[in-house]
Amino acid sequence: MLWYKAWLDTRWPFLIGLAILVVLACGNVFEYPTTARLLPLADTLPHGTGIVGRAIDEAIQTQRDYRGFIWWQWVRQNFTQTWTLFAVLLGSGGLLVSGSKGALFTAALPASRKQLLGIRAGACMIELLVLAVVPSLLIWLLSPAVGESYSLTTALVHASCMFLAGVVFYSFAVLMSTTFHDMWRPALVTCLVAIGIGVVETVVRQMGGYGVFAVMRAETYFRSGALPWGGLLVTIAISASLFYAALLNFVQLDL
Amino acid sequence: MSDPVVIETADLSKAYDASTEALRGLTLQVPSGSIYGFLGKNGAGKTTTIKTLLGMVKPTGGIARVFGLDATNPQASVAIRQRAAFVSEDKDLIDSMTVDEIARFTASFFPTWRADLAQQYRQTFDLRPAQSVKQLSRGARTKLALLLALCRGAELLILDEPTSGLDPAAAEEVLQVLVRHVATEPLTIFFASHQLSEVDQIADHVGIIDRGRMAVAGALDDLRAQFRRIQVVFDGAAPTPAFRTAAVKRVRREGRVLTILTSADADAVVAEARALNPVAIDVAPVTLKDIFLESVNAEA
Repeated sequence: MLWYKAWLDTRWPFLIGLAILVVLACGNVFEYPTTARLLPLADTLPHGTGIVGRAIDEAIQTQRDYRGFIWWQWVRQNFTQTWTLFAVLLGSGGLLVSGSKGALFTAALPASRKQLLGIRAGACMIELLVLAVVPSLLIWLLSPAVGESYSLTTALVHASCMFLAGVVFYSFAVLMSTTFHDMWRPALVTCLVAIGIGVVETVVRQMGGYGVFAVMRAETYFRSGALPWGGLLVTIAISASLFYAALLNFVQLDL
Repeated sequence: MSDPVVIETADLSKAYDASTEALRGLTLQVPSGSIYGFLGKNGAGKTTTIKTLLGMVKPTGGIARVFGLDATNPQASVAIRQRAAFVSEDKDLIDSMTVDEIARFTASFFPTWRADLAQQYRQTFDLRPAQSVKQLSRGARTKLALLLALCRGAELLILDEPTSGLDPAAAEEVLQVLVRHVATEPLTIFFASHQLSEVDQIADHVGIIDRGRMAVAGALDDLRAQFRRIQVVFDGAAPTPAFRTAAVKRVRREGRVLTILTSADADAVVAEARALNPVAIDVAPVTLKDIFLESVNAEA
Protein backbone atom coordinates (compact mmCIF):
# COMPACT_ATOMS: atom_id res chain seq x y z
CA MET A 1 0.00 0.00 0.00
CA LEU A 2 3.00 2.35 0.34
CA TRP A 3 3.24 2.10 -3.45
CA TYR A 4 -0.33 3.30 -3.70
CA LYS A 5 0.42 6.23 -1.39
CA ALA A 6 3.51 7.08 -3.45
CA TRP A 7 1.31 7.08 -6.54
CA LEU A 8 -1.24 9.38 -4.87
CA ASP A 9 1.56 11.72 -3.78
CA THR A 10 3.17 11.96 -7.21
CA ARG A 11 0.33 11.38 -9.67
CA TRP A 12 -0.37 15.04 -10.52
CA PRO A 13 3.16 16.10 -11.52
CA PHE A 14 3.45 12.80 -13.38
CA LEU A 15 0.15 13.12 -15.26
CA ILE A 16 0.71 16.79 -16.07
CA GLY A 17 4.24 15.97 -17.28
CA LEU A 18 2.93 13.10 -19.39
CA ALA A 19 0.24 15.27 -20.96
CA ILE A 20 2.75 18.02 -21.81
CA LEU A 21 5.29 15.58 -23.27
CA VAL A 22 2.62 13.84 -25.35
CA VAL A 23 1.42 17.17 -26.75
CA LEU A 24 4.99 18.27 -27.48
CA ALA A 25 5.86 14.95 -29.15
CA CYS A 26 2.78 15.14 -31.38
CA GLY A 27 3.46 18.79 -32.09
CA ASN A 28 7.04 18.07 -33.15
CA VAL A 29 5.99 15.30 -35.55
CA PHE A 30 3.25 17.35 -37.19
CA GLU A 31 5.47 20.42 -37.41
CA TYR A 32 7.93 18.61 -39.68
CA PRO A 33 6.16 19.13 -43.04
CA THR A 34 6.16 22.90 -42.49
CA THR A 35 9.83 22.91 -41.48
CA ALA A 36 10.73 20.70 -44.44
CA ARG A 37 9.01 23.20 -46.78
CA LEU A 38 10.86 26.14 -45.26
CA LEU A 39 14.34 24.58 -45.07
CA PRO A 40 15.32 25.32 -48.73
CA LEU A 41 14.81 29.00 -47.95
CA ALA A 42 17.53 28.73 -45.32
CA ASP A 43 20.07 27.95 -48.05
CA THR A 44 19.59 31.45 -49.47
CA LEU A 45 20.72 32.96 -46.17
CA PRO A 46 24.39 33.92 -45.73
CA HIS A 47 26.44 31.62 -43.48
CA GLY A 48 26.58 32.92 -39.94
CA THR A 49 29.69 33.80 -38.03
CA GLY A 50 30.38 33.65 -34.33
CA ILE A 51 28.78 31.31 -31.79
CA VAL A 52 25.19 32.20 -32.72
CA GLY A 53 25.82 32.01 -36.45
CA ARG A 54 27.50 28.63 -36.12
CA ALA A 55 24.64 27.39 -33.98
CA ILE A 56 22.08 28.48 -36.59
CA ASP A 57 24.10 26.75 -39.30
CA GLU A 58 24.30 23.60 -37.22
CA ALA A 59 20.54 23.69 -36.60
CA ILE A 60 19.80 24.02 -40.30
CA GLN A 61 22.26 21.30 -41.31
CA THR A 62 21.05 18.88 -38.65
CA GLN A 63 17.37 19.27 -39.54
CA ARG A 64 17.77 18.50 -43.22
CA ASP A 65 16.30 15.03 -42.72
CA TYR A 66 13.47 13.79 -40.50
CA ARG A 67 15.71 11.95 -38.06
CA GLY A 68 17.84 15.08 -37.65
CA PHE A 69 14.76 17.25 -37.25
CA ILE A 70 13.34 14.99 -34.49
CA TRP A 71 16.68 14.88 -32.71
CA TRP A 72 17.19 18.63 -32.86
CA GLN A 73 13.68 19.79 -32.06
CA TRP A 74 12.40 16.97 -29.89
CA VAL A 75 15.26 15.07 -28.23
CA ARG A 76 17.69 17.93 -27.90
CA GLN A 77 15.20 20.57 -26.76
CA ASN A 78 11.58 19.81 -25.83
CA PHE A 79 12.10 16.26 -24.53
CA THR A 80 15.25 17.04 -22.53
CA GLN A 81 13.99 20.27 -20.99
CA THR A 82 10.49 19.08 -20.11
CA TRP A 83 11.58 15.67 -18.86
CA THR A 84 14.28 17.26 -16.68
CA LEU A 85 11.76 19.73 -15.21
CA PHE A 86 9.38 16.93 -14.20
CA ALA A 87 12.23 14.80 -12.84
CA VAL A 88 13.07 17.75 -10.59
CA LEU A 89 9.43 18.24 -9.54
CA LEU A 90 8.99 14.55 -8.73
CA GLY A 91 12.18 14.55 -6.66
CA SER A 92 11.31 17.68 -4.70
CA GLY A 93 9.35 17.67 -1.48
CA GLY A 94 7.96 14.33 -0.41
CA LEU A 95 7.69 13.20 3.19
CA LEU A 96 9.87 15.98 4.47
CA VAL A 97 7.89 19.00 3.38
CA SER A 98 7.22 20.99 6.54
CA GLY A 99 3.63 20.55 7.63
CA SER A 100 2.84 18.32 4.68
CA LYS A 101 -0.33 16.33 5.17
CA GLY A 102 0.30 12.74 6.09
CA ALA A 103 3.99 13.04 7.00
CA LEU A 104 3.56 12.24 10.70
CA PHE A 105 0.86 9.67 10.00
CA THR A 106 3.16 7.86 7.58
CA ALA A 107 6.20 8.15 9.85
CA ALA A 108 4.21 6.51 12.66
CA LEU A 109 3.57 3.40 10.56
CA PRO A 110 5.73 0.30 11.00
CA ALA A 111 7.89 1.05 7.97
CA SER A 112 11.56 2.03 8.03
CA ARG A 113 12.73 5.32 6.58
CA LYS A 114 14.68 3.37 3.95
CA GLN A 115 11.44 1.66 2.94
CA LEU A 116 9.54 4.96 2.79
CA LEU A 117 12.14 6.72 0.66
CA GLY A 118 12.91 3.62 -1.40
CA ILE A 119 9.30 2.96 -2.36
CA ARG A 120 8.66 6.60 -3.23
CA ALA A 121 11.82 6.61 -5.35
CA GLY A 122 10.72 3.35 -6.98
CA ALA A 123 7.36 4.85 -7.89
CA CYS A 124 9.04 7.97 -9.27
CA MET A 125 11.49 5.85 -11.30
CA ILE A 126 8.58 4.04 -12.96
CA GLU A 127 6.85 7.36 -13.66
CA LEU A 128 10.04 8.86 -15.10
CA LEU A 129 10.51 5.79 -17.27
CA VAL A 130 6.95 6.20 -18.57
CA LEU A 131 7.63 9.91 -19.19
CA ALA A 132 10.62 8.89 -21.28
CA VAL A 133 9.16 5.92 -23.15
CA VAL A 134 5.57 6.95 -23.97
CA PRO A 135 6.37 10.15 -25.91
CA SER A 136 9.26 8.41 -27.65
CA LEU A 137 6.93 5.63 -28.79
CA LEU A 138 4.49 8.26 -30.00
CA ILE A 139 7.20 9.70 -32.27
CA TRP A 140 7.71 6.23 -33.74
CA LEU A 141 3.96 5.61 -34.09
CA LEU A 142 3.00 9.01 -35.52
CA SER A 143 5.82 9.44 -38.02
CA PRO A 144 4.01 7.59 -40.86
CA ALA A 145 1.21 10.16 -40.49
CA VAL A 146 3.56 12.80 -41.96
CA GLY A 147 4.96 10.41 -44.54
CA GLU A 148 8.16 9.65 -42.61
CA SER A 149 9.53 6.74 -40.65
CA TYR A 150 11.37 6.76 -37.38
CA SER A 151 13.11 3.66 -36.08
CA LEU A 152 11.70 2.04 -32.94
CA THR A 153 15.26 1.25 -31.85
CA THR A 154 16.25 4.90 -32.13
CA ALA A 155 13.17 5.95 -30.15
CA LEU A 156 13.93 3.45 -27.41
CA VAL A 157 17.63 4.34 -27.29
CA HIS A 158 16.77 8.01 -26.79
CA ALA A 159 14.15 7.16 -24.16
CA SER A 160 16.63 4.93 -22.31
CA CYS A 161 19.44 7.48 -22.36
CA MET A 162 17.06 10.23 -21.25
CA PHE A 163 15.90 8.12 -18.31
CA LEU A 164 19.21 6.57 -17.24
CA ALA A 165 21.25 9.78 -17.39
CA GLY A 166 18.48 12.19 -16.41
CA VAL A 167 17.77 10.41 -13.15
CA VAL A 168 20.77 12.31 -11.84
CA PHE A 169 18.52 15.41 -11.54
CA TYR A 170 15.85 13.43 -9.72
CA SER A 171 18.45 12.13 -7.23
CA PHE A 172 19.86 15.61 -6.73
CA ALA A 173 16.36 16.97 -6.04
CA VAL A 174 15.76 14.18 -3.50
CA LEU A 175 19.05 15.03 -1.79
CA MET A 176 18.06 18.71 -1.70
CA SER A 177 14.70 17.71 -0.23
CA THR A 178 16.46 16.06 2.70
CA THR A 179 18.31 19.34 3.25
CA PHE A 180 15.57 21.93 2.69
CA HIS A 181 12.25 20.81 4.11
CA ASP A 182 9.92 22.47 1.64
CA MET A 183 8.83 21.89 -1.92
CA TRP A 184 10.26 24.89 -3.74
CA ARG A 185 13.83 25.34 -2.56
CA PRO A 186 14.93 21.83 -3.66
CA ALA A 187 13.20 22.37 -7.00
CA LEU A 188 14.72 25.79 -7.47
CA VAL A 189 18.26 24.75 -6.50
CA THR A 190 18.11 21.68 -8.76
CA CYS A 191 16.76 23.72 -11.68
CA LEU A 192 19.56 26.26 -11.22
CA VAL A 193 22.12 23.45 -11.15
CA ALA A 194 20.61 21.96 -14.33
CA ILE A 195 20.66 25.32 -16.07
CA GLY A 196 24.27 25.81 -14.96
CA ILE A 197 25.27 22.42 -16.34
CA GLY A 198 23.43 23.19 -19.58
CA VAL A 199 25.26 26.50 -20.01
CA VAL A 200 28.65 24.91 -19.25
CA GLU A 201 27.98 22.09 -21.72
CA THR A 202 26.98 24.55 -24.42
CA VAL A 203 30.07 26.67 -23.90
CA VAL A 204 32.50 23.77 -23.44
CA ARG A 205 31.51 21.63 -26.42
CA GLN A 206 34.55 19.39 -25.89
CA MET A 207 32.68 17.73 -23.00
CA GLY A 208 30.74 16.13 -25.84
CA GLY A 209 29.71 12.65 -24.90
CA TYR A 210 30.27 13.03 -21.18
CA GLY A 211 28.13 16.05 -20.30
CA VAL A 212 24.90 15.01 -18.54
CA PHE A 213 22.69 16.60 -21.18
CA ALA A 214 24.79 15.22 -24.02
CA VAL A 215 24.31 11.72 -22.57
CA MET A 216 20.57 12.33 -22.01
CA ARG A 217 20.27 13.38 -25.68
CA ALA A 218 22.43 10.42 -26.78
CA GLU A 219 24.30 12.83 -29.06
CA THR A 220 27.01 10.30 -29.91
CA TYR A 221 24.33 7.78 -30.92
CA PHE A 222 22.64 10.34 -33.15
CA ARG A 223 25.85 11.46 -34.81
CA SER A 224 27.80 8.20 -35.06
CA GLY A 225 25.58 5.38 -33.83
CA ALA A 226 27.77 4.86 -30.74
CA LEU A 227 25.95 4.50 -27.46
CA PRO A 228 27.38 6.75 -24.70
CA TRP A 229 28.23 3.83 -22.41
CA GLY A 230 30.89 5.72 -20.46
CA GLY A 231 28.60 8.70 -19.90
CA LEU A 232 25.73 6.46 -18.89
CA LEU A 233 27.87 4.60 -16.36
CA VAL A 234 29.19 7.84 -14.89
CA THR A 235 25.74 9.45 -14.57
CA ILE A 236 24.23 6.27 -13.11
CA ALA A 237 27.07 6.15 -10.55
CA ILE A 238 26.50 9.82 -9.67
CA SER A 239 22.73 9.26 -9.35
CA ALA A 240 23.26 6.27 -7.07
CA SER A 241 25.72 8.25 -4.90
CA LEU A 242 23.36 11.22 -4.63
CA PHE A 243 20.45 8.97 -3.70
CA TYR A 244 22.53 7.13 -1.12
CA ALA A 245 23.54 10.46 0.43
CA ALA A 246 19.85 11.45 0.51
CA LEU A 247 19.01 8.16 2.22
CA LEU A 248 21.70 8.69 4.88
CA ASN A 249 20.38 12.21 5.46
CA PHE A 250 16.78 11.04 5.66
CA VAL A 251 17.49 8.27 8.17
CA GLN A 252 19.13 10.78 10.52
CA LEU A 253 16.51 13.51 10.25
CA ASP A 254 14.13 14.56 13.00
CA LEU A 255 10.54 14.70 11.76
CA MET B 1 1.53 -7.04 27.84
CA SER B 2 3.88 -9.00 30.04
CA ASP B 3 6.29 -6.13 30.76
CA PRO B 4 5.32 -4.25 33.92
CA VAL B 5 6.53 -1.05 32.30
CA VAL B 6 5.62 -0.23 28.69
CA ILE B 7 7.49 3.06 28.33
CA GLU B 8 10.69 3.86 30.13
CA THR B 9 13.04 6.78 29.71
CA ALA B 10 16.08 7.65 31.77
CA ASP B 11 17.93 10.95 31.67
CA LEU B 12 16.54 11.56 28.17
CA SER B 13 17.72 14.75 26.52
CA LYS B 14 17.14 16.38 23.18
CA ALA B 15 18.61 19.62 21.92
CA TYR B 16 17.45 20.75 18.47
CA ASP B 17 20.23 23.34 18.48
CA ALA B 18 22.43 25.11 20.98
CA SER B 19 19.58 27.31 22.19
CA THR B 20 16.64 24.87 22.01
CA GLU B 21 16.74 22.14 24.62
CA ALA B 22 13.43 20.32 24.42
CA LEU B 23 14.28 17.55 26.90
CA ARG B 24 16.68 17.93 29.79
CA GLY B 25 17.12 14.59 31.51
CA LEU B 26 13.56 13.27 31.38
CA THR B 27 12.92 10.15 33.43
CA LEU B 28 9.57 8.49 32.89
CA GLN B 29 7.91 5.14 33.54
CA VAL B 30 4.52 4.18 32.16
CA PRO B 31 3.04 1.05 33.75
CA SER B 32 1.44 -1.54 31.54
CA GLY B 33 -2.34 -1.26 31.33
CA SER B 34 -2.44 2.28 32.66
CA ILE B 35 -4.01 5.43 31.26
CA TYR B 36 -1.11 7.80 31.68
CA GLY B 37 -1.76 11.52 31.43
CA PHE B 38 1.37 13.36 30.36
CA LEU B 39 0.85 16.95 31.40
CA GLY B 40 2.85 20.01 30.60
CA LYS B 41 2.60 23.56 29.37
CA ASN B 42 3.03 24.31 25.69
CA GLY B 43 6.66 23.80 24.76
CA ALA B 44 7.40 21.70 27.85
CA GLY B 45 8.67 18.79 25.73
CA LYS B 46 5.59 16.56 25.44
CA THR B 47 5.59 16.20 21.66
CA THR B 48 9.36 15.74 21.51
CA THR B 49 9.05 12.94 24.09
CA ILE B 50 6.38 11.22 22.01
CA LYS B 51 8.35 11.59 18.78
CA THR B 52 11.43 10.18 20.50
CA LEU B 53 9.47 7.17 21.74
CA LEU B 54 8.26 6.50 18.18
CA GLY B 55 11.72 6.86 16.62
CA MET B 56 10.87 10.08 14.76
CA VAL B 57 13.34 12.19 16.69
CA LYS B 58 16.84 11.16 17.73
CA PRO B 59 17.66 12.07 21.33
CA THR B 60 20.99 13.68 22.15
CA GLY B 61 21.40 11.61 25.30
CA GLY B 62 19.78 9.16 27.68
CA ILE B 63 17.66 6.06 27.22
CA ALA B 64 14.23 5.62 25.66
CA ARG B 65 12.60 2.20 25.69
CA VAL B 66 9.16 1.07 24.58
CA PHE B 67 8.15 -2.58 25.20
CA GLY B 68 11.76 -3.00 26.33
CA LEU B 69 12.99 -2.05 22.85
CA ASP B 70 15.46 0.75 22.21
CA ALA B 71 13.45 3.52 20.53
CA THR B 72 16.62 5.07 19.10
CA ASN B 73 17.42 1.95 17.09
CA PRO B 74 15.84 2.18 13.60
CA GLN B 75 14.96 -1.53 13.40
CA ALA B 76 13.59 -1.60 16.95
CA SER B 77 11.55 1.53 16.31
CA VAL B 78 9.77 -0.22 13.43
CA ALA B 79 8.91 -3.05 15.85
CA ILE B 80 7.66 -0.46 18.36
CA ARG B 81 5.44 1.18 15.76
CA GLN B 82 4.09 -2.27 14.87
CA ARG B 83 2.73 -2.55 18.41
CA ALA B 84 1.86 1.10 19.07
CA ALA B 85 -0.62 3.55 17.59
CA PHE B 86 -0.15 7.30 17.43
CA VAL B 87 -2.59 10.14 16.98
CA SER B 88 -0.81 13.44 16.41
CA GLU B 89 -1.98 16.78 17.73
CA ASP B 90 -2.91 17.99 14.24
CA LYS B 91 -4.72 14.70 13.52
CA ASP B 92 -2.39 14.31 10.57
CA LEU B 93 -3.89 11.96 7.99
CA ILE B 94 -3.44 11.31 4.27
CA ASP B 95 -5.75 13.88 2.74
CA SER B 96 -5.63 12.42 -0.76
CA MET B 97 -7.42 9.25 0.40
CA THR B 98 -11.03 8.52 1.24
CA VAL B 99 -12.11 7.19 4.64
CA ASP B 100 -12.27 3.67 3.27
CA GLU B 101 -8.90 3.95 1.49
CA ILE B 102 -7.04 5.20 4.55
CA ALA B 103 -8.60 2.41 6.63
CA ARG B 104 -7.45 -0.21 4.10
CA PHE B 105 -4.06 1.50 3.82
CA THR B 106 -3.57 1.39 7.59
CA ALA B 107 -4.90 -2.16 7.87
CA SER B 108 -2.30 -3.38 5.38
CA PHE B 109 0.45 -2.69 7.94
CA PHE B 110 -1.22 -4.49 10.83
CA PRO B 111 -2.05 -8.20 10.71
CA THR B 112 -3.96 -7.64 13.96
CA TRP B 113 -6.33 -5.11 12.30
CA ARG B 114 -9.88 -5.46 13.69
CA ALA B 115 -12.24 -5.09 10.74
CA ASP B 116 -15.26 -5.70 12.98
CA LEU B 117 -14.22 -2.89 15.28
CA ALA B 118 -13.51 -0.58 12.33
CA GLN B 119 -17.01 -1.16 11.02
CA GLN B 120 -18.47 -0.53 14.46
CA TYR B 121 -16.53 2.71 15.01
CA ARG B 122 -17.31 3.92 11.51
CA GLN B 123 -21.00 3.67 12.34
CA THR B 124 -20.58 5.16 15.81
CA PHE B 125 -18.59 8.07 14.43
CA ASP B 126 -20.86 8.48 11.38
CA LEU B 127 -17.95 8.33 8.92
CA ARG B 128 -18.92 7.58 5.33
CA PRO B 129 -16.47 5.26 3.50
CA ALA B 130 -16.42 7.31 0.29
CA GLN B 131 -15.91 10.61 2.07
CA SER B 132 -12.64 12.36 1.29
CA VAL B 133 -10.34 12.77 4.29
CA LYS B 134 -9.56 16.29 3.13
CA GLN B 135 -13.18 17.34 3.53
CA LEU B 136 -13.65 16.03 7.07
CA SER B 137 -14.36 18.47 9.87
CA ARG B 138 -11.91 18.78 12.75
CA GLY B 139 -14.10 16.57 14.91
CA ALA B 140 -14.54 13.94 12.20
CA ARG B 141 -10.77 13.94 11.56
CA THR B 142 -10.16 13.23 15.24
CA LYS B 143 -12.68 10.40 15.18
CA LEU B 144 -11.13 8.90 12.06
CA ALA B 145 -7.63 9.18 13.53
CA LEU B 146 -8.91 7.45 16.64
CA LEU B 147 -10.59 4.71 14.60
CA LEU B 148 -7.34 4.05 12.73
CA ALA B 149 -5.44 3.91 16.01
CA LEU B 150 -7.88 1.76 17.95
CA CYS B 151 -8.54 -0.87 15.27
CA ARG B 152 -4.94 -1.86 14.55
CA GLY B 153 -4.78 -4.07 17.63
CA ALA B 154 -2.07 -1.96 19.22
CA GLU B 155 -0.86 -2.62 22.74
CA LEU B 156 0.01 1.03 23.28
CA LEU B 157 -1.95 4.07 22.20
CA ILE B 158 -0.02 7.34 22.15
CA LEU B 159 -2.16 10.44 21.82
CA ASP B 160 -0.86 13.98 21.52
CA GLU B 161 -3.51 16.44 22.69
CA PRO B 162 -6.35 14.16 21.54
CA THR B 163 -9.13 16.69 22.05
CA SER B 164 -7.39 19.85 20.91
CA GLY B 165 -9.65 21.99 18.76
CA LEU B 166 -12.80 20.03 19.66
CA ASP B 167 -15.92 21.47 21.23
CA PRO B 168 -16.75 20.14 24.72
CA ALA B 169 -19.34 17.66 23.42
CA ALA B 170 -16.95 16.20 20.83
CA ALA B 171 -14.11 16.10 23.37
CA GLU B 172 -16.32 14.22 25.81
CA GLU B 173 -17.33 11.75 23.08
CA VAL B 174 -13.68 11.06 22.30
CA LEU B 175 -12.84 10.52 25.96
CA GLN B 176 -15.78 8.17 26.42
CA VAL B 177 -14.70 6.11 23.42
CA LEU B 178 -11.24 5.79 24.91
CA VAL B 179 -12.55 4.76 28.30
CA ARG B 180 -14.93 2.20 26.78
CA HIS B 181 -12.21 0.83 24.52
CA VAL B 182 -9.68 0.39 27.30
CA ALA B 183 -12.33 -1.38 29.38
CA THR B 184 -12.69 -4.10 26.76
CA GLU B 185 -9.26 -4.30 25.14
CA PRO B 186 -5.85 -4.83 26.78
CA LEU B 187 -4.24 -1.47 26.12
CA THR B 188 -1.96 1.13 27.64
CA ILE B 189 -2.81 4.73 26.83
CA PHE B 190 -0.18 7.46 27.02
CA PHE B 191 -1.69 10.81 26.28
CA ALA B 192 -0.13 14.22 26.31
CA SER B 193 -2.38 17.07 27.25
CA HIS B 194 -2.63 20.38 28.95
CA GLN B 195 -6.32 19.83 29.64
CA LEU B 196 -6.25 19.04 33.35
CA SER B 197 -9.93 18.13 33.51
CA GLU B 198 -9.45 15.40 30.88
CA VAL B 199 -6.51 13.89 32.66
CA ASP B 200 -8.38 14.06 35.95
CA GLN B 201 -11.34 12.37 34.28
CA ILE B 202 -9.72 9.35 32.66
CA ALA B 203 -6.08 8.96 33.76
CA ASP B 204 -4.95 6.69 36.54
CA HIS B 205 -1.32 7.80 36.33
CA VAL B 206 0.12 11.22 35.61
CA GLY B 207 3.47 12.72 34.82
CA ILE B 208 4.01 16.47 34.79
CA ILE B 209 6.80 17.63 32.54
CA ASP B 210 8.27 21.07 32.96
CA ARG B 211 11.01 22.51 30.79
CA GLY B 212 12.09 19.06 29.62
CA ARG B 213 12.25 17.46 33.06
CA MET B 214 9.76 15.35 34.98
CA ALA B 215 8.45 17.51 37.81
CA VAL B 216 5.94 15.10 39.34
CA ALA B 217 4.97 11.54 38.46
CA GLY B 218 2.91 8.76 39.97
CA ALA B 219 -0.48 7.15 40.35
CA LEU B 220 -3.13 9.87 40.44
CA ASP B 221 -4.76 8.48 43.60
CA ASP B 222 -1.38 8.36 45.34
CA LEU B 223 -0.64 11.93 44.36
CA ARG B 224 -4.01 13.09 45.63
CA ALA B 225 -3.53 11.16 48.88
CA GLN B 226 0.01 12.34 49.50
CA PHE B 227 0.18 15.91 48.25
CA ARG B 228 -0.84 18.52 50.80
CA ARG B 229 -0.87 22.27 50.93
CA ILE B 230 0.17 23.59 54.31
CA GLN B 231 -0.52 27.21 55.13
CA VAL B 232 1.36 28.64 58.08
CA VAL B 233 0.26 32.04 59.39
CA PHE B 234 2.53 34.23 61.55
CA ASP B 235 1.99 37.31 63.71
CA GLY B 236 4.44 39.36 61.69
CA ALA B 237 6.25 38.76 58.42
CA ALA B 238 6.69 35.07 57.59
CA PRO B 239 10.25 33.75 57.97
CA THR B 240 12.18 32.06 55.14
CA PRO B 241 12.91 28.68 56.65
CA ALA B 242 14.78 25.79 55.02
CA PHE B 243 12.70 22.66 55.54
CA ARG B 244 14.58 19.42 56.15
CA THR B 245 11.75 17.20 54.89
CA ALA B 246 12.69 16.03 51.41
CA ALA B 247 9.07 15.87 50.28
CA VAL B 248 8.68 19.65 50.34
CA LYS B 249 8.14 20.63 46.69
CA ARG B 250 7.69 24.35 47.00
CA VAL B 251 7.60 27.09 49.64
CA ARG B 252 5.97 30.43 48.90
CA ARG B 253 6.19 33.40 51.25
CA GLU B 254 3.58 36.15 51.01
CA GLY B 255 3.42 38.66 53.87
CA ARG B 256 2.41 36.80 57.03
CA VAL B 257 1.66 33.53 55.23
CA LEU B 258 3.97 30.71 54.29
CA THR B 259 2.44 28.23 51.79
CA ILE B 260 4.14 24.88 51.52
CA LEU B 261 3.39 22.18 48.94
CA THR B 262 4.54 18.76 50.02
CA SER B 263 4.38 15.52 48.09
CA ALA B 264 4.39 13.37 51.28
CA ASP B 265 5.19 13.46 55.02
CA ALA B 266 2.79 16.31 55.74
CA ASP B 267 3.04 15.54 59.47
CA ALA B 268 6.80 15.99 59.47
CA VAL B 269 6.47 19.31 57.63
CA VAL B 270 3.80 20.45 60.13
CA ALA B 271 6.13 19.56 63.00
CA GLU B 272 8.90 21.62 61.42
CA ALA B 273 6.48 24.50 60.87
CA ARG B 274 5.35 24.43 64.53
CA ALA B 275 8.92 25.05 65.59
CA LEU B 276 8.65 28.46 63.87
CA ASN B 277 5.95 29.59 66.39
CA PRO B 278 3.13 30.37 63.94
CA VAL B 279 -0.30 31.52 65.01
CA ALA B 280 -2.09 29.02 62.80
CA ILE B 281 -1.37 26.01 60.61
CA ASP B 282 -3.84 24.68 58.05
CA VAL B 283 -3.33 21.41 56.12
CA ALA B 284 -5.50 20.91 53.01
CA PRO B 285 -5.65 18.31 50.23
CA VAL B 286 -4.81 19.52 46.75
CA THR B 287 -6.32 18.99 43.33
CA LEU B 288 -4.45 17.89 40.21
CA LYS B 289 -4.71 21.50 39.04
CA ASP B 290 -2.92 22.66 42.21
CA ILE B 291 -0.18 20.08 41.74
CA PHE B 292 0.21 21.03 38.09
CA LEU B 293 0.31 24.76 38.69
CA GLU B 294 2.70 24.48 41.61
CA SER B 295 4.96 22.19 39.57
CA VAL B 296 5.14 24.18 36.37
CA ASN B 297 5.21 27.60 37.99
CA ALA B 298 8.16 26.73 40.21
CA GLU B 299 11.37 28.61 39.58
CA ALA B 300 13.77 26.97 37.19
